[in-house]
Amino acid sequence: MIYPEKIKAKKSNKIIKILMCVSIGIAIILLLINKLTTPTIPWAALANAGILYSWVVVVYCVRKNINLAGHVLLQLIALSILMIYIDYKIGSRGWSISIAVPIMIMIANLTMLVLTIVSYKKYMKYVIYQLMIVLFSILPLIFVTKHIVQNQTLSVIASGISAFNFVICLILCAKDIKEEMVRKFHF
Amino acid sequence: MRKKKESKLDWRRLDNSAKIFPISTGKKYSTVFRLSAVLKEKVEPKVLEEAVKQALEKYQFFKVRMKQGLFWYYLEDNNKLPKVEEEQDYPCQYIDSRRNNNYLFKVTYFENKVNIDIFHSLTDGNSGATFFKEIIYTYLELRYKEVLSDDQRRVRKIDYDYDAEDSYMKNYDKKAKSNASGKKAYVLKGNKIPLGAISAIHEIIDLEGLKKESKKHGATITQYLTAVLLNCIYQENYIKNKGKKPIKICIPVNLKKYFPSKTMSNFFSYITIEAQMKKDGLDTFEKMLDFVKRDFSKRLTEEEIIKTMSANVKIGNNPFIRPIPLLIKKAIVRLSYIEIRKYTTTTFSNIGRIGMIGKYKDYIDYFLMLIAPEPVEKIKCSSCTFENKVVFTFTSILQDNRIEKRFYEFLKDKGIKIQIESNGVLDDISREN
Repeated sequence: MIYPEKIKAKKSNKIIKILMCVSIGIAIILLLINKLTTPTIPWAALANAGILYSWVVVVYCVRKNINLAGHVLLQLIALSILMIYIDYKIGSRGWSISIAVPIMIMIANLTMLVLTIVSYKKYMKYVIYQLMIVLFSILPLIFVTKHIVQNQTLSVIASGISAFNFVICLILCAKDIKEEMVRKFHF
Repeated sequence: MRKKKESKLDWRRLDNSAKIFPISTGKKYSTVFRLSAVLKEKVEPKVLEEAVKQALEKYQFFKVRMKQGLFWYYLEDNNKLPKVEEEQDYPCQYIDSRRNNNYLFKVTYFENKVNIDIFHSLTDGNSGATFFKEIIYTYLELRYKEVLSDDQRRVRKIDYDYDAEDSYMKNYDKKAKSNASGKKAYVLKGNKIPLGAISAIHEIIDLEGLKKESKKHGATITQYLTAVLLNCIYQENYIKNKGKKPIKICIPVNLKKYFPSKTMSNFFSYITIEAQMKKDGLDTFEKMLDFVKRDFSKRLTEEEIIKTMSANVKIGNNPFIRPIPLLIKKAIVRLSYIEIRKYTTTTFSNIGRIGMIGKYKDYIDYFLMLIAPEPVEKIKCSSCTFENKVVFTFTSILQDNRIEKRFYEFLKDKGIKIQIESNGVLDDISREN
């Protein structure tokens, strides 16, 4: 006999599928309870947004070999979307884009700065995520120039920190950035 | 082992053939091939693990991971150690590199058998066999230290002088015109095996008997086996399903036989045998064999091979295709892949003789080669030779195994010694029915 008799079925995917079905069930039940009890307060939508956010994080984490900078970028984007949605659902007061998103950009940039300094040998792994965070950090500036945000201070500080962080990285790891660009953009 | 700094990791572009595989691959199109060595004694996992590690140090070409660029994938040095596990899955399954320490090959073992599954983006069958042989040589040296003494090892002259160049780019002819036929091929019909299982049936054929029979008809072994395969497809699937389109059998060709190259990267092309059964009056085996011989001599010429190779290089090199972002390339290729594949009925890859020297061969029973079947090419065939055994393998996702049975009976009727080994997937299905 040159082959095993029983082939192991892969269960991990099944478990995730079952849990996803349970989540969808809970989300529907929450929406129904919300509609029947307190239709004027959209609490079920907020809870469901939380469930969705958790799933984005779980699915991303289940994948192996994802680097730290990738997690930082994911959290920045996922949390920003979650905050903007919550803001929209509870009256669109604009706190998400004028306070929450800039603060998250600052935290993401500081985390990246710490990562760069602590493990500069691995910087090459972070380059592409760093650039995407820098691109994302331009958003508050766009909001300022388009007069979408009222409190402009935090937005300007966030974009400023991002630019400063990028300049530091350029000074420390210019060679790595260039090398990574050659690899990523070869055609 | 000291880890290199990330920016010091070498990287290389994918060769021209390899570019398409990661774009089109998925669980249904794994583009993985397997080589196995059936040894005479049970495999020692720890020794095998050490052998893989040592072989990898000699062939660092394989010590890579795949990374995504904006326009193409590329390969980069991999600092991790390769995994060696007991065989638990169907052969030629999609290799999820994230669960495989980023490697694009996977070494497994079961009882007396050592397997290596290789993602085609990394290399082709011939270079894969070179690396696999190194693993087997090293394993045997570690396992039977006393018998395979230093003297014995010195006899083993392996040429480690290889490179990773893209030999396609070096050898293609910019002016060559495509010779591809625009006609779609007959697609094998039948119910698929459920739950993504793959059947593997190995027909172990006596080389001497096969040689004699082929010579009798003035054919090479590859031509003879291709004609037998064509006959089996015709008798067991084509007639029953009233096929109209030509049966097209794709035969990979090792380009190192035609061009000087030391590359370990992919360097193969293919010829396609196109049999229009009714139009060419191919209703007996003899007529089919005559046709296959003629078609081989027509297509297996340097000029024709350069035409096919050059046409493929031109696609990968097209100035309008190259700057398309990878995400869009992926979407386009995946949407059109089923249509592209409809130009071949099946593939038959013969990597020929796998030679082992001196006392080493005493520890090996035979080698196997398998290629992954796909939703369109539901059966794929491959063969390799070790000593006096030619192993012809059918990998299939069809529940109906009459083509495989007919192949066995045909050669047996010709008086050729033949025996069967399988992974039992179709036995289970026949028992259930």
